[in-house]
Amino acid sequence: MDQQQLRALEYRCIQEEPPFCTAACPIHVDARAFMAALAKDDVASARKVLDRTMPFADIVGRLCDAPCQPACKRREVGDPLAIGALEHFCVSHSKTLIKLPKLPAKGGTAAIFGAGLSGMTAALDLARKGRAVTLYTAQPTLGGTLRALVPDTLPADSLAQAQALLTEYGVTIKAATPLDPGTMATLAAACDTVYCDPDEITIHAVAGVSADLDPLTLAAGPEGWFAGSTGGSGASVIQQVADGRRAALSMERFLQKVSLTAQRDKEGAFATRMHTVVTDIAPAAVIGPADPATGYTADEARAEAGRCLQCECLECVKQCVYLQTYKEYPKTLVRKIYNNQAIVQGTRNANKMINACSLCGQCTVICPNDFPVADVCRATRQEMVATGHMPPSPHDFALEEMRFSLSEACRLSRHQPGHATSRYLFYPGCQLSGSAPEAVRRAYALLTGQLEGGVGLMLGCCGIPAHWAGQGALFAATMESLAAEVAALGNPMLIVACSSCLAIFKEFAPALKVRSLWEVLDGLDLPTPPPRPLPGCLSLHDPCTARHQPELRASVRRLCAKLGLPVTEASLGGELADCCGYGGLMQFANQPLGRESAENKARRSEAPAGAGLAYCAMCRDNLAATGRPVAHLLDYLLASPGDPDPLGRSNPGFSWRHEQRARLKRDLLAELWQETAQPRPAHTDIVLRIDQEVRDRLNSRMILEEDLQKVIEFAEASGRYLINPTNNRRLASHRPLRVTYWVEYEPTDQGYRIHNGYSHRMQLPEVRS
Amino acid sequence: MSQFSFLEATDWQCACCRQPLQPTPVRVSYLNSVFDVELMACSGCGFILVPESLAVGKMLQVEQLLEDK
Repeated sequence: MDQQQLRALEYRCIQEEPPFCTAACPIHVDARAFMAALAKDDVASARKVLDRTMPFADIVGRLCDAPCQPACKRREVGDPLAIGALEHFCVSHSKTLIKLPKLPAKGGTAAIFGAGLSGMTAALDLARKGRAVTLYTAQPTLGGTLRALVPDTLPADSLAQAQALLTEYGVTIKAATPLDPGTMATLAAACDTVYCDPDEITIHAVAGVSADLDPLTLAAGPEGWFAGSTGGSGASVIQQVADGRRAALSMERFLQKVSLTAQRDKEGAFATRMHTVVTDIAPAAVIGPADPATGYTADEARAEAGRCLQCECLECVKQCVYLQTYKEYPKTLVRKIYNNQAIVQGTRNANKMINACSLCGQCTVICPNDFPVADVCRATRQEMVATGHMPPSPHDFALEEMRFSLSEACRLSRHQPGHATSRYLFYPGCQLSGSAPEAVRRAYALLTGQLEGGVGLMLGCCGIPAHWAGQGALFAATMESLAAEVAALGNPMLIVACSSCLAIFKEFAPALKVRSLWEVLDGLDLPTPPPRPLPGCLSLHDPCTARHQPELRASVRRLCAKLGLPVTEASLGGELADCCGYGGLMQFANQPLGRESAENKARRSEAPAGAGLAYCAMCRDNLAATGRPVAHLLDYLLASPGDPDPLGRSNPGFSWRHEQRARLKRDLLAELWQETAQPRPAHTDIVLRIDQEVRDRLNSRMILEEDLQKVIEFAEASGRYLINPTNNRRLASHRPLRVTYWVEYEPTDQGYRIHNGYSHRMQLPEVRS
Repeated sequence: MSQFSFLEATDWQCACCRQPLQPTPVRVSYLNSVFDVELMACSGCGFILVPESLAVGKMLQVEQLLEDK
């Protein structure tokens, strides 16, 4: 990611866009922060918000005509906030708390003709920038038409205070100066730039000055002359302030001899890109002051400010536990990723975050600008791999499992027994084969029984773990080898059980003919289910990888209807479905987050006890691991008398899935093709006895039973182990590849009882022989 | 190079040499980083014990730190 790409990505996330009120305000008062403070009864902080942006807050806070109010998002669920009246309350109950700094004097002289609100604002802003400003008025005091508002609308001393403030910032005030065109021309000739306030000056009466102002700069004809667009009693107060501010910026740029027009598109009121969803917000009507004559009481003001929605987007964050966990929204996330990648020497603190995204793409669907978090994280992983910055531990286990699924122990590619060609090729995928091998067996029997032209079988792995891990070369090689095997079978149509495999094939092997198992089953005669009571209501859990496969999801629902399964939609599903924690290898990079993702998905169940029905094997197992009753659709579609209750099936865990994959190949080869699989390594014959508690611990530590078998084989063959004389247990270690496994065990009559297992990657010196 | 000690009393004995384990200086490594530590090991054959608490505790922390360097 280069800086240009970063900027383009950051622009797509609108969380930091100004809220609707601020964008509609010609001077961008942060009304959201103002309301947040008032809602906490913090009038001082609210006042500071005004002081930061609003010149002469004691005046403007009382008079502002509040063009922000019609823009307030609250209007869609009740009335807009009474922003103007609350500002009035605030300035009536506080004094100026922030005086903005004045820059050092830097030359350049400005004359302001007319001391209405826009002239005063222009004078103040220019004086703050360090310019020598003289403010002329024909009146005896400042304020222009505001003077008529004292004392009924404005406090008696408000204009005097404004005058004192201007003087404090170094503005020279020349009152009672006749502002006829001749005098103005003479005074203007003695300074560098001029502003005319239409509250006091008739613009077109000044020689050479045009009332036809440039709307962007307020330039008024002669070089260096600027003027306001509005004034007089009844003119918009905030527009006068905005004019004075806009003109002051133009005059400053004029004095600096830089572009008057560059980068001014966000000045004045503008349309924000902010996106705030109000569908779940209860309507609330405006809370007005009980006595309009005296205005808000503190309690009333707090209550009214409390109606503020504090507009923001965060639509993706509301659903995504990953973004919630890392306390990021896409804009801050990509910046952290960019900074992480820029580190040459030092700790890359964001590595884990980059590897923990499930790459599920839910946020992209939710985002009004399709922010591609998954693409960014995956591309970054690929970059980390390419530059040697990918830590080994997050993906090692999953990649080893992928290699195992693709190894001779598990892979299989055959025409249907008795057929020399295949019109179809059943591809159950590695996780279904590991989680529910019997379902694979039955599905294959159903397909071969009903489809004409031969249904081949292919066991293996689509390579998605390598894709997720950023291992581009490994992934490409896997896809290539798979495509070659399919070609060797005559390019049959793949019938794919796993929505992840299917999504991968569609994206990366478009030449393959593919269909989902569910669409195919939807077109076949389904076996009559055995007479057994149907489950109670089940919430249907779509997998995240079916997000962009609406046909597949529709087939699943039709199959459920045909079976009479009482399914209900999860509270979030379809194209918005959450990941179960397996996607993107999240659960390997951040195990607690993986568990939380499964919990989050499980909580979407609308059925009693969180009961659910999944049609992705990983979703099924991860959801079952949360302790909720969750079945796989094939458990009901291909049920057989005597099956245990599918809702009672626990998570088989990594180890058992690993083992079942190898057994499925061995058994199918023997049953269907009468072939003997290559013998598995001798250590796999070692019999282990493991209590559930230890089994769970080993599973969470990603230690397979086969790892234990390798350690024991090594230890028993070499005699190298430790022994505890108090209980005769043995402790041994072995490092087959990149991880050292330790096993605490004891020999029994039929094998070994396992008491514990743990691992580390740090390498010890070789043991002396 | 600093030396960290992770010694703890242990019942484990070397099955090969039939000896109790002794505090032993050991050089461990991970991802091009090398550390001198003190661990319990067999003085006969050099079999080094990495106790569970160390493997899932400090050692894991250091591994993860090094992985992000």
